[in-house]
Amino acid sequence: MIQLHNVSKRYPGGFDALSNLSLEIDAGEMVFLTGHSGAGKSTLLKLIMLMERATRGQVLVGGENLNKMPARKIPFLRRQIGVVFQNHQLLFDRSVYENIALPLVIAGFDPRDIGRRVRAALDKVGLLSKEKLNPIALSGGEQQRVGIARAVVNKPPVLLADEPTGNLDPKLSAEIMTLLQQFNEVGVTVMIASHDLDLVKRMNKRLLTLEGGQLVHDGSVEVL
Amino acid sequence: MSQADKPLPDALGRGASLKQLTVANLWRAYYRHHIASAKDSLSRLWQQPLSSLMTWLVIAIALALPQVLAIAVSNIDQLGQGWQGRPGLSVYLHKHIKAAKAEALLAQLQGDALVVEGAYISPSQALAEFEQASGMSDVLAGLGDNPLPGVLQLSLIDEAGLEQVKVLRQQLQQRPEVAQVDVDLQWLQRLQQILELGKRLNWLLAGLLALGVLLIVGNTIRLAIAARKEEILVVKTLGGTNAFVRRPFLYTGIWYGLGGGLLALLLTQLCLWALSGPVAKLAGSYGSDYSLLGLGLADCGFLLLASSVLGWLGAGLAVGRHLAAIEPGD
Repeated sequence: MIQLHNVSKRYPGGFDALSNLSLEIDAGEMVFLTGHSGAGKSTLLKLIMLMERATRGQVLVGGENLNKMPARKIPFLRRQIGVVFQNHQLLFDRSVYENIALPLVIAGFDPRDIGRRVRAALDKVGLLSKEKLNPIALSGGEQQRVGIARAVVNKPPVLLADEPTGNLDPKLSAEIMTLLQQFNEVGVTVMIASHDLDLVKRMNKRLLTLEGGQLVHDGSVEVL
Repeated sequence: MSQADKPLPDALGRGASLKQLTVANLWRAYYRHHIASAKDSLSRLWQQPLSSLMTWLVIAIALALPQVLAIAVSNIDQLGQGWQGRPGLSVYLHKHIKAAKAEALLAQLQGDALVVEGAYISPSQALAEFEQASGMSDVLAGLGDNPLPGVLQLSLIDEAGLEQVKVLRQQLQQRPEVAQVDVDLQWLQRLQQILELGKRLNWLLAGLLALGVLLIVGNTIRLAIAARKEEILVVKTLGGTNAFVRRPFLYTGIWYGLGGGLLALLLTQLCLWALSGPVAKLAGSYGSDYSLLGLGLADCGFLLLASSVLGWLGAGLAVGRHLAAIEPGD
């Protein structure tokens, strides 16, 4: 589902965020990405979403070569990839319902269809009773769950999460991870960048460790 | 994206997959988003009534100014047109010429092939008209003696060329009874030239003010874009196309333009009402029932269309410049 071949990313100014990185993630896998700040985790996620383009090498998502993808096609790639952010990036000028409906509105779903899908997503993250609230009225954990609902509401084949538990206590963090795992169990390819090594170890999935823009570990969590 | 297109196991209960988005569905979605953008942008303007009203007023003033000038020019033009086809001569007689002699001269001149009709205005008649028109009866009474000469007013045939009129004028000038001959055509020609100049100037002015409207809308939209930067980033991250992001701002521009146009019509109409009284009075003093030419339906339609297009263009300029700079990942 996600392939990188000898990928390097150099930012203007000469900083090498990734150098000669190769990896492959199959459809339906759940992968954790760890490493210190500046190791290249966020850059890797941005390359997959085409928020950045690789300086060298090839990035393929779903068999499509992103290097050659013209700008007008980028929105359609992004509709296939759900993203969960650390700061969840919810819009506080509208309700929980409208936040979650946004990807469907963007993709042009029928309004009746939107209602059904949004409530299914809300039900899945356990916030069905809060659809009319403004997300600002929710707790941090609830806000993150709204962010997850928004990321999965249009059933993307790929789900990326950048430090999804960064601001949460251990119990809430575990809940969020369990939720992400449930999506993986029904076939979604999930990639999670995380600092929380204890939690990553407990999840016991494939682990990728970046250091200085290079892949230094690809395998089991036993090394942690 | 071959793998991505494979139907996914259902994570969120039974439901249609992405594949259900057929062309017809997408077309409906496109239409829906237009409607939604139009409504949403209008309601955003209503939510800030004062600042929206300010923008509308600025646009309205910029649009109403050339409109009012255009109406003024076309009214003066209209007045001129009424006389232009009938060149005339005012033949001022010496003061000592008596009415009988003047009438005799008039009868003689009416035989001229160029003259259609003529009238003798005696000094006392002229004084009465002047009194009525100027309202200076007290001053005139103080003069004692009537200072005005008798005048023969001649209307010439429509086909009378400038040269023929000049020849006739010279002939008249040589007569002993005649003090001075004025050709009415001359001032009409000058008026025509001045009006032509006025129209040109007005077009230039309208062009400059239209540019101003573009910049006003552009700047207002630029601020709106800055205020909604977060939302734009999220929408782009979630796969919103540039057209999707652009649409509400373009509608905002159209609403600014259309609202400004409507207010401009109102302002223009107010100006017309304010002027109609004095104009009727003035026309009355010339024995005319002339009333102001206002805005036609076509003029109104054109103004509204032009103002909407200006708003749309102004928004388009701002959106083109500033939206590209907002990309997720920076």
